[in-house]
Amino acid sequence: MSNALDDSETETTGRTASQTTTTTAGESDERVREAWTDYDFAGTPKLSVEDLNVWYGDDHALKDVSMDIPENSVTALVGPSGCGKSTYLRCLNRMNDRIKAARIDGSVELEGTEIYDPNANLVELRKRIGMVFQSPNPFPKSIRENISYGPRKHGNIEKGLLARLFGRDDTEAEYELVERSLKQAALWDEVEDRLDDNALGLSGGQQQRLCIARCLAVDPEVILMDEPASALDPIATSKIEDLVEELSKEYTVVIVTHNMQQAARISDQTAVFLTGGELVEYDDTDKIFENPESQRVEDYITGKFG
Amino acid sequence: MSEGYADETTLVNAESNVYDRGLDAAIGLSVLTFALGMVTLVDAVPLNASGAALGESLVTVLAVVGGGVGIVGVSSWANVTPVESHRVRGIALGLVGSTLGLTVLAYAVPVTLATLLGLTLVVEAVAVATAGLASRVEAVDTGPNTSAGLLAGVVFGALGLAIGTAVGGSLVGFDSPAWVAVALGAGLVLTALTVLPREDVGSTVPAALVVGTLGLTIATAAVGVGWQWNPQSLSGGFTGGAVVPLFVLVGAVLSAWAAAKCRAGFGARGREFGAFLVINLNAFLMVAVMATIVVFVTVKGVGYALHGFTIGALSALVLLAPLLVVVANAARTPAGTSDWHTGARQLFRLLPLAAVGSVAAVLLSVLLTGDRLAYPFTYSVQVNRAQRSLDTALAVTPEPTVGSLLLVVPALSLSVYFFRSYGSLRNVGRRFEWVETARRTLPLAVAGTVALTGLFLLVGPTPLGLPLGGTLGLAVVVLAALAALALSALPLGGVLVGEGALADRAQDAATLFTLGVFGGLALLTAALFLQATATVTPSVGPVNVVPAVALAGAVASLAATALVARAKRRTDETLQRRLLGEETSLGLTGVAGFLTLLGLHVAVTKVSFTALGVSVANAGTLSWPMTMQTYVPLGAEPGGILPAVVGTVWLVTGATLFAVPLGVGAAVFLTEYAEQGRFTALVEIATNALWSTPSIVFGLFGAAFLIPRLGGDESLLAGMLVLGFMLLPLVLITSREAVKAVPDEYRDASAALGVSQWVTIKSVVVPAAMPGVITGVILGVGRIAGETAPLILVLGSTLNATESAQVLDGFRFTAQPPFVANDALLSASASLPTQVWAVIAAGVSGSPSMGWASAFVLLLVVLTFYAVGITARTYFRRKLTYE
Repeated sequence: MSNALDDSETETTGRTASQTTTTTAGESDERVREAWTDYDFAGTPKLSVEDLNVWYGDDHALKDVSMDIPENSVTALVGPSGCGKSTYLRCLNRMNDRIKAARIDGSVELEGTEIYDPNANLVELRKRIGMVFQSPNPFPKSIRENISYGPRKHGNIEKGLLARLFGRDDTEAEYELVERSLKQAALWDEVEDRLDDNALGLSGGQQQRLCIARCLAVDPEVILMDEPASALDPIATSKIEDLVEELSKEYTVVIVTHNMQQAARISDQTAVFLTGGELVEYDDTDKIFENPESQRVEDYITGKFG
Repeated sequence: MSEGYADETTLVNAESNVYDRGLDAAIGLSVLTFALGMVTLVDAVPLNASGAALGESLVTVLAVVGGGVGIVGVSSWANVTPVESHRVRGIALGLVGSTLGLTVLAYAVPVTLATLLGLTLVVEAVAVATAGLASRVEAVDTGPNTSAGLLAGVVFGALGLAIGTAVGGSLVGFDSPAWVAVALGAGLVLTALTVLPREDVGSTVPAALVVGTLGLTIATAAVGVGWQWNPQSLSGGFTGGAVVPLFVLVGAVLSAWAAAKCRAGFGARGREFGAFLVINLNAFLMVAVMATIVVFVTVKGVGYALHGFTIGALSALVLLAPLLVVVANAARTPAGTSDWHTGARQLFRLLPLAAVGSVAAVLLSVLLTGDRLAYPFTYSVQVNRAQRSLDTALAVTPEPTVGSLLLVVPALSLSVYFFRSYGSLRNVGRRFEWVETARRTLPLAVAGTVALTGLFLLVGPTPLGLPLGGTLGLAVVVLAALAALALSALPLGGVLVGEGALADRAQDAATLFTLGVFGGLALLTAALFLQATATVTPSVGPVNVVPAVALAGAVASLAATALVARAKRRTDETLQRRLLGEETSLGLTGVAGFLTLLGLHVAVTKVSFTALGVSVANAGTLSWPMTMQTYVPLGAEPGGILPAVVGTVWLVTGATLFAVPLGVGAAVFLTEYAEQGRFTALVEIATNALWSTPSIVFGLFGAAFLIPRLGGDESLLAGMLVLGFMLLPLVLITSREAVKAVPDEYRDASAALGVSQWVTIKSVVVPAAMPGVITGVILGVGRIAGETAPLILVLGSTLNATESAQVLDGFRFTAQPPFVANDALLSASASLPTQVWAVIAAGVSGSPSMGWASAFVLLLVVLTFYAVGITARTYFRRKLTYE
């Protein structure tokens, strides 16, 4: 992964190879056109991914994925289990670095800066690209501490005796931050009067919104969500969905989901991954769901496969 | 109990019939037999007791059983801990009934306990067999399987084999091989009887046969108290005293199991209930063993350990204060719904308060009337190889004095308690410009005072011959104390002055409360420490300034709190009530805090402080010779074992300070950073091996390796290190498990927020693992506190030491490396386990009663460490779950 920048020069070759693989994999697929890889949108991409490959040991989990993600929109990643969409998502803020067996090759640029640069600042990167996980994972601390955890550890909020002695007490700032984040995550009204209670006492849906609020508190630009509603009931799910739509006005959201309807409802563009870690099609959501170019994608979306 | 049973018709099962109740009684009888078996096993009641002597013992058992069942029954009736299970009710009733029956029998019939137990077993056998046969002829509705199962068959076969061997051996003798036939026959018959018939017969009739045989053997005195069997191949033998209780225990467990199966109607439920009962009896056995040890040591040692125990009534009251606050708070909790149980529940909430309150009232009456309260008793000591009885008493004296440390500890804990119940008073009350200014200046003032304290600590109060402490220090102390006085008066002033009703004034003064209490406490604490390092004691005439300010602060806070509490009762606004509640908590924090400072001042300066006839002093309020005196070699009274207590406390503290950071650090490294592979596996094996290393080997290592490197003498430090080495593996193992058990989701969540691994470990992983780590430390401390073997080799302990290790005073700071030295750590010390060992090993010159008393004190010390550990664990657990 260290030679990511050098690799980007051989971009064209890589892409051709990937298309060849796609074509041979779906031999009956006659409708494959080359158009989708050139999916074009207005404006500059927030994240641009070139020829991303991931291996877990000998297992080639993600193959030559290239896609640009536009700013302030919702991008849905759909596909059957084990198709590499979560792996792909975790590459975007280098969470895969935490898996020792994972080997990553390719380039991911955040607003033109290579994130796999060996000199890249991981702390800064993850502050800019936040993540929400599949199952709600609040810390076993109070609601307030959960929200202010990130900013406090980054030194943006200081409180306590020493801070006070040095004339710096950010208690006010913390309270404001907690209120703002919880309001953004549409949780404020439900927990307003018990901010000092343990976060594990909240319901699953509330916990997930708390995790979103915790992520928002470090003021990210991109939010990655890994099936954030899969462990929740329909009401909590619809709340999360509303929240995602709301967030996309200010943030770039990339969301993995198993639920086709959910992807269709909330996303602006959809990327379909199919078995083997390939990105098969990536386009406007309407296009993908109404008139996909690939037969395999249509089969998957209509439920004939996967 | 029976009343409740009949009245609450909704709870009475329609199928609860004669069969069920009879079996409940049988189970109760079996449990009682089991308990009596254990009583005879430890020889608490001799097997050949009979008549009135036996009756008296059984009355004690009846009192215990009746009391236990009665307490549970009453609390069930009052709905505090409702018992709704019919079986539990029935068995409890059966237990009481059968105890009563046996007691009456013991008085009425002149039989020994052994015979009585034998007859009981026979009755149980008959009951079980009847129930099984009743089920077989379909007289009752049950759901048996086709067979009792092979496992039961094997067990009964083995029992049959054993009984057959015994019977055959005594009938034909072991010389003729015919006994083998008898044994095999009995085994086969019992197996067949168990496996072949339907379950209801298969699990009752063989059990009844075995239990009946055991019972008859005991009842007919075939195996009686005087019975003895000395096999030639063994050097020892079996006596009736050991065999009869064993028979009783086996018979009781068997009949309880069979009766439980009958009661639950056989089948899956029957098996479950049977197994459940047997497991419970096992657990009961374990608890009984533990309780026996504690009670035994207490009974043997408590008289000697408490000789000459005297406490001033005021000190006792102060010690009681935290408990009083806790029970008062418990009593204030609302009693819940308005059904007829409310009154009873309220009663149960009030009972602890009543109990503690009555003790407090007694102490208060001692204080007011001036009469000494004493409970005289005698204890025995060994003088010139002869036991002598000495008179002594537990006493409460009417002294209006409280010990400084006795004040500091409860006051500090109360202060923390009230502060924890205080929430927040942010954005409440009127804003004053000067309050904001004071709020901003305060930290600077405190920091300045602390800095000056640090300076004096480093260079002494007279650097370069300049009397800085006497001038600057004195001035700062006086200024800070006066400022603290003014601050502590702020809340009271705020409540008194102003406009509107009392409640409104109190609400407006919220800013004054926070500033006054926190500011006053902080400033006065800083002044207190500055005064100690500057070695000045500012005083106005005969009155010391700092303690006087502390007392005034406490009084002012109390007055303000009382006014606020009164205002709170008068207001109807919910929000205002809550705010005033917060102010009350804060005010009480201030009261307890200022009192802590008062005690601290006396403890630090060693000058007692008196106001209105009540004084805070350093000595004379609590006397407990056993733990507070050293040994008096040739005195009329033997003194105590203070050096040993101090030694053990230091040993445990030192070992914990050494092992816990090291162990937890290693656990974090091995789990979070190290590559999981050969290295970690090797470390794991090494740790486990270290944990199972015998303690004497640790001792030898300490004696041969550590001592030559630590000055060449046996020493406290060597003891600490050796115990630390022993503690290390357990802390490492438990901490690793605890760190491993922290979910990866926390680490992921923290990493996704851009927090580095080290900060994640510090602020998420370790706090989440803390309860597990502390569990390990508790277990380890329990082991090392009583460890004797290595200490004999490395501690250099003597019997009945007359000097205790002065570790804190022993520190000396020097200008040359190593900059710090401590002679006390490098010299020999006493310790409790070695004291107990030495008393036993010393033979005639040691006093056994002193040994028991030392063991009792050791038990107390270990239990205190346990209590501290468990409190810490509960605290961290609460922090993790619901605060």
